[in-house]
Amino acid sequence: MNKIISKTLIAGAISTAMLAGAAQAAVTMVSWGGGYSASQQKAYIDTYSSGEVNLISYNGGLGEVRAQVESGNVQWDIVDVLPSQARTGCDEGLFEELDRSIFLPAPDGTPMDEDLMVDVPNDCVVPQIWWSYVPFHKADTFSGDQPSTIQDFFDVEKFPGKRGIHTWANAIVEMALYADGVAIADIYDVLDTQAGQDRAFAKLDTIKDHVVFWSSGAKPLDLVNSGEVSMSLAYNGRIGGAILNDGADYVTVWDGQVLEEEWLVLMNGAPNRAAALHFLVHASSTQAQADQAKWINYGPMRPSALPLMEANEPWFNTGVNIMEHMPNTDEHMKGGILANPDWWADNGQAVNDRYAAWMAN
Amino acid sequence: MSDTSTINSQGQLLTSDGVPLKDSLRKSLRRTKIRSFLLIIVPLLFLLIMFVVPIGTLLTKSVDDTSINTVFPKTFAQYELWEDKSILPSEEMFAAVINDIRITHKMENSEGKNIGKNLLGKAGTRMTYEFSGWRSLLLKTVKEATKVDKKSKEVIKPYVLEAPYKEKMIKRDKRWGKVEFWQSMGAMKDPYTMGYYLNAVDLRYDANKNIIQKNEYLKIYKTIWMRTLQVSLIVTLACLFLAYPVAYLLATLPMRASNLLMICVLMPFWTSLLVRIVAWMIMLQQNGVVNDTLLTILPCFEGALNFPFIGETFIDLCFGEEDRLPMMYNFTGTIIVMTQVLLPFMILPLYSVMKGVPPSYMKAAQNLGATPTWAFIKVYMPQTVPGIGAGCILVFIVAIGYYISPELVGGKDGLMIGNFVAREMQQTLNWGLAAAMGALLLTAVLALYWAYDRLVGLNNLKMG
Repeated sequence: MNKIISKTLIAGAISTAMLAGAAQAAVTMVSWGGGYSASQQKAYIDTYSSGEVNLISYNGGLGEVRAQVESGNVQWDIVDVLPSQARTGCDEGLFEELDRSIFLPAPDGTPMDEDLMVDVPNDCVVPQIWWSYVPFHKADTFSGDQPSTIQDFFDVEKFPGKRGIHTWANAIVEMALYADGVAIADIYDVLDTQAGQDRAFAKLDTIKDHVVFWSSGAKPLDLVNSGEVSMSLAYNGRIGGAILNDGADYVTVWDGQVLEEEWLVLMNGAPNRAAALHFLVHASSTQAQADQAKWINYGPMRPSALPLMEANEPWFNTGVNIMEHMPNTDEHMKGGILANPDWWADNGQAVNDRYAAWMAN
Repeated sequence: MSDTSTINSQGQLLTSDGVPLKDSLRKSLRRTKIRSFLLIIVPLLFLLIMFVVPIGTLLTKSVDDTSINTVFPKTFAQYELWEDKSILPSEEMFAAVINDIRITHKMENSEGKNIGKNLLGKAGTRMTYEFSGWRSLLLKTVKEATKVDKKSKEVIKPYVLEAPYKEKMIKRDKRWGKVEFWQSMGAMKDPYTMGYYLNAVDLRYDANKNIIQKNEYLKIYKTIWMRTLQVSLIVTLACLFLAYPVAYLLATLPMRASNLLMICVLMPFWTSLLVRIVAWMIMLQQNGVVNDTLLTILPCFEGALNFPFIGETFIDLCFGEEDRLPMMYNFTGTIIVMTQVLLPFMILPLYSVMKGVPPSYMKAAQNLGATPTWAFIKVYMPQTVPGIGAGCILVFIVAIGYYISPELVGGKDGLMIGNFVAREMQQTLNWGLAAAMGALLLTAVLALYWAYDRLVGLNNLKMG
């Protein structure tokens, strides 16, 4: 008899718990993990009081997104996506087009879509950050002359040692052309021609025998730390995270950095649509954007967040100034290349095939 | 028997309850059949749902091109009428494109929700696989061809584009005047295509759907297929070479020792794959344990020596900083890591077969005059063939589809076909190509299985 009672009690407890869970379903947000996800947790989720948000990690790409939408079994609500995926996903109907009027304007009243550093590409996207591919090395790697330009990254004579680069073509072909003397403004016009692409790959050939490839964001730091490579490209937030949080002795060479947009999107058919929308409004506000820079050196997409940070330096949580570590300050933008996601959506397949062939042969 | 059965008017044997014996037998047989079918229905359903259906879907995906054909039916019909494909097509084909765009743009699903825009978006993705630039050209034209008056929400007018289209479209975007864009439609015009398979072996269709070679600098997959086979073969042989003595020890050592050895085999087998890969990274990288050790222990001699007869010779017997072996993030790294990871798949079947070989055979052979080596080769080894076969097949099949180890330690020349399947699935969203590569991989494995059956026989396979 006792057994029956306890069993009933347990069953009751479980079903109550399940009901409670169903009533207060948490929004699922998918992001890249590491310090970046941690900054989103601190700046958006910990400051959000109107509901629960679970942050999980993925490896990027639209594969899982498309699989969920096409099978009608959508598990995620919000996804953190790269610029070209924000475009393809919206075109294909994987993401929902949002009513732009629900988002908060800047403190001076500018609507969100006008308070962006780029033209808003479609109605699916919610502003996140600017990040960049950028070369770095340990401060004690080279004696004498120090690398200061993107040419130095491609010059293995002057700065010996291997180079860490990623396994896909984005950013590296732009850097190659810039290092080869193409003006930043002309890079995509040159890349649009066969000869221009040949030129980029010819430049890549010059370092081919000195290259170690990486495909996950933490890897370039390992490569540089272990001495496997003398310089590596990396996501600027990974380098900054090591400098700002762990006191790593890294030098970032901002010349030739390639800046990329990052957006949040709402899955089409998201299970917790209303709650997710509510959270997106919070996460895209000027304040939240500025808050994120307390935890990571990725630049806010909304310019209205910059004065907030500048006026209150030291802004970073450890009590140091953050602006000098941001990719999109005037100083760092001098040699900065704004990636063109539309060009990549058009040419990404062909150029990446060629890059893979270049890697393999 | 005869007292319970009788014979009816047609001369059939009857059972005691008067039913013809044949029917009764059939009935009871059918009952047994149903019962045994019910017993296997769960595994059968499992097999169907988890195996046959996904693989079937995969195979369809690799040839399916219906999506783009629902978007451009008129255009593709016009394509058939386009005679000289080296010059731009006629006004009719330009008009067909705009027509198809306008019709698709209004398409709704069964619930009345507009799906046309997304179909066009998908079409853009699909077309870019054939020729770079299609996506933006198509989406730009979609916008211009379907522009509506914002105030009245009038759908039909005023379009930016009106007939005649040819000149206007080229004026709006000069890419419409490039014959290469039009030619690339040839590869998409049929609802079923071998294009993805061609792509997976570095071939493609030209405008007339003849099969031609891809541009030299875009050729990648042949290299990768060859490398996948090469890596799998080397790993299989390395595993066999390393596993055979270990399995032999496991099977012949006294219980206490062999148990300990077994734990040494199984511990890594149970350890997370990622942990093992990272451990290898620490060991093998440029400044890793192995290179550091070599640097410390290898003697270093650099200088001139005076040899008798030869005279003074400069000798460099130094393993210096610049001699550190590259063992990680390349082909070698992939081989080493995969061999270690897959070793238990070879040891375990070998062990289970060796355990069953009676030791008395070896003794008998030696009694009859064979040397221990000869007895081992002639008597022991043939009896372990089922284990060798099973181990090799297991390791090879697992290796050929390997993905995570090459991704982490493969660097530039250690990537395998699995990495490219993942890339097409996740990054470029070219699922057709990914499916075609998967199907080719499946075919390779089946072919291997068939070859093994022909050469050794499947009943000779002992998995453990």
